[in-house]
Amino acid sequence: MRRLLRSPLLLAGLLMTLTVFAPCQAAPRQPGELAWAIHYDPKSFDPAKVDDEASELVRYLTGGVLLRLNRQTQEPEPQLAESYRVSPQGTLIVFKLRDGLRFSDGSALTSADVAWSLRRVLAPATQSIVAAEFLAPGEVTIDAPDKLTVRVHLPKRVIAVGKIFDEIAIEPANRPSEGRVTSGPFAVAEYKRDQFVRLRRNPNYWRRDGAGAQLPYAAGIRLDIQNNREEEISLFLRGEYDLIDRLAPEYFGILAKKSPQSVRDLGASLNTEQLWFNQAPSAPLPEFEKAWFRNRGFRVAVSQAIHRADLARIAYDGHATRADGFISPANKTWHNDALKAPHENAADANQMLAASGFHRGNQLYDSAGHAVRFSILTNAGNAARQKMAAMIQQDLAATGMQVTIVALDFPALIERLMHKQDYEACLLGVTNAEPDPSSMMNMWLSSSANHQWNPSQKTPATEWEAEIDRQMELQASSPVPSVRKLAVDRVQQIVADQQPFIYLVYPNVLEAVATELRGVQPSILSPGPAWKIEWMRRAEGGR
Amino acid sequence: MKKRIPAVFLLLVILAGGLVLRVSRYGYAFQDRGAIMAPSTAEHWTGTDELGRDRTVRVAAALFIGLMGAAAAAAITTAIAACFGLLAAFSPSSVAALLMFLSDGFLSLPWLFLLMMARSLLPLTASPLETAVTTFLVLAALGWPACAHAIYRGARSLRSAEWMIQGRACGLKSRQLIRLHIVPHLRPLLLPQFLVCVPAFLVAEANLGALGLGVGEPMPSWGAMLLELDNSALLARSHWVYLPIALLALLLLILESFAEVETHA
Repeated sequence: MRRLLRSPLLLAGLLMTLTVFAPCQAAPRQPGELAWAIHYDPKSFDPAKVDDEASELVRYLTGGVLLRLNRQTQEPEPQLAESYRVSPQGTLIVFKLRDGLRFSDGSALTSADVAWSLRRVLAPATQSIVAAEFLAPGEVTIDAPDKLTVRVHLPKRVIAVGKIFDEIAIEPANRPSEGRVTSGPFAVAEYKRDQFVRLRRNPNYWRRDGAGAQLPYAAGIRLDIQNNREEEISLFLRGEYDLIDRLAPEYFGILAKKSPQSVRDLGASLNTEQLWFNQAPSAPLPEFEKAWFRNRGFRVAVSQAIHRADLARIAYDGHATRADGFISPANKTWHNDALKAPHENAADANQMLAASGFHRGNQLYDSAGHAVRFSILTNAGNAARQKMAAMIQQDLAATGMQVTIVALDFPALIERLMHKQDYEACLLGVTNAEPDPSSMMNMWLSSSANHQWNPSQKTPATEWEAEIDRQMELQASSPVPSVRKLAVDRVQQIVADQQPFIYLVYPNVLEAVATELRGVQPSILSPGPAWKIEWMRRAEGGR
Repeated sequence: MKKRIPAVFLLLVILAGGLVLRVSRYGYAFQDRGAIMAPSTAEHWTGTDELGRDRTVRVAAALFIGLMGAAAAAAITTAIAACFGLLAAFSPSSVAALLMFLSDGFLSLPWLFLLMMARSLLPLTASPLETAVTTFLVLAALGWPACAHAIYRGARSLRSAEWMIQGRACGLKSRQLIRLHIVPHLRPLLLPQFLVCVPAFLVAEANLGALGLGVGEPMPSWGAMLLELDNSALLARSHWVYLPIALLALLLLILESFAEVETHA
């Protein structure tokens, strides 16, 4: 045994094992502070440059906005703007600001700050994702005739006004501060990479409760950067965390047993889990692989071979619904009830592959004799996705495809997806912040950097992508609800026919909220239980 | 007798693993989707995992893959160490000093990170078998310097032995000297080195697996199975989740006893 411990390999191994299974510890909670976990570092604290969920949450908690989308009624509500008016043609929006607004550093917030913040978001140099939702951001003009009025002139009508302005934080003109000087309920106070983001209450926040008390109630928020779900659950059960948004399904049962009052299954979310193949011409992949991925028959066959009901039952412990399209049935207004998706059947998948030029030997080969083998990337630490990947691996093995699964940490995954485009297939989810399909423009327009299977196209690579562009622009600009609905239905059908994204499941919204936490209102929309953050606080006597 | 006890235990474990793989109806990758996290039954003796895969079969397969991989890696690393140690021992002292300096330098490298780096450089489409082979090859390539030192010291003392001088005087060539004299005399040194490396490589693979850098799914490995212990949801559902770590600990004790006995033989 002494020798066993003397071996450097063994010793290092034992040390690593102890590290992996060591008990967890959260940073100490400050008085009146709320705490929960985010799963990776925010990529940017600049509210105009947000393009990941963690940064989006920080922007939500710190950014003051003109309009805020009510996460229950899904209607926009005035915030920094006391009122707003859209012209009948939809090309002019006039905001009237509240009087006496101040930033967290005490400086006055005027229409000049609003105009500057909007122009910054629209500027191509900022590369803001929100800008694409204005359809033609370069042609939008903004003026501020007086200190309290801001006019936004649009070249085309934009439908989801509430959603767009919900994502634009108003910053002090010419003083971007990366969230340290804000007009929202909180401001960034401290950030320690890989550890936590600490937000402090904005003492100048405009809002007060019915009794005239300054909001927000909480003195601050600590967002621990915690990629280990196990530790997150443990810290929640110990009272160190106040909530868990998007609780992993395998822990739902455990928490339901230990603390039944704290867990909630809100039903199917608007979010989707999907698999897609890399069709980007610039991808560093062999041409024959690109040809498979561009082959509609190949994609449809993969879709047909996957047993989605098993994915929902096994990978999500039943807390998910099988998916056929990008709009969840929870989104009753926009879901296409007449959608015709490929029939799920392994025999049909084999037939489709044969009809698309593939043939079976001891495995699947393309017409040039290349064995069909590819990898599926997914993010490490998401048990449900890793289980789905393993199940898809077996489902596709029935068609003769050889699939390897690669789990990468999120930054490495994003680097491959967004910058190098060095991947074959990817299994990830999309969080839909609100039900209106206009919010999905950046995913569906072929020119968008977030058009994942083939991003940033100068002109649409295929006729069906051009058709998606047309229909999405139509739904985003038409004032007639029935026209919009028809356009969105058409896009859903094209996507079901072409399978650029192979939709797998709609995960249910699972959350855990400490019983001591007051002021929480459930919502299936992001940021989940924290959407009423100004009113949230721990009950007297809570730690 | 003392030497036989760990050997018998090892043989029993291997036979049991072989028997499981022989008689089971299921492959290690087969997902029985109607029996997710099933308890112990006649069909699945130690239940199934989260994907309905037979746990007994996976543990048995991990045993074989781990043992074969670790043994092969240990053999390679011992061979490299023997070559390096012998070369240094029979070289002029300045060359020997340089070689030992190189070996020391290699030993001082952050091997775990090198190991992780080398493993992560594999192409994404590497099959599970390729990942397993690469993992153990990398372990073999990085594990030799410690052994090389021991062999160098052992071989150095042989160099001036009387029977060596006699062998040379009788006209034996270097190759014959190595085969007839040096290797048999180094055997008591090489065998324990080999036996010490086997458990060390098993643990190293388990740690790499726990970091997601070991043997690729669906091929079973100790590391991937130990990851289940990091999930309290699974621990609450079945005690059979502890089977891999219990068996790994048993295996390590047997292998270490084997090495201990051989060292003192």
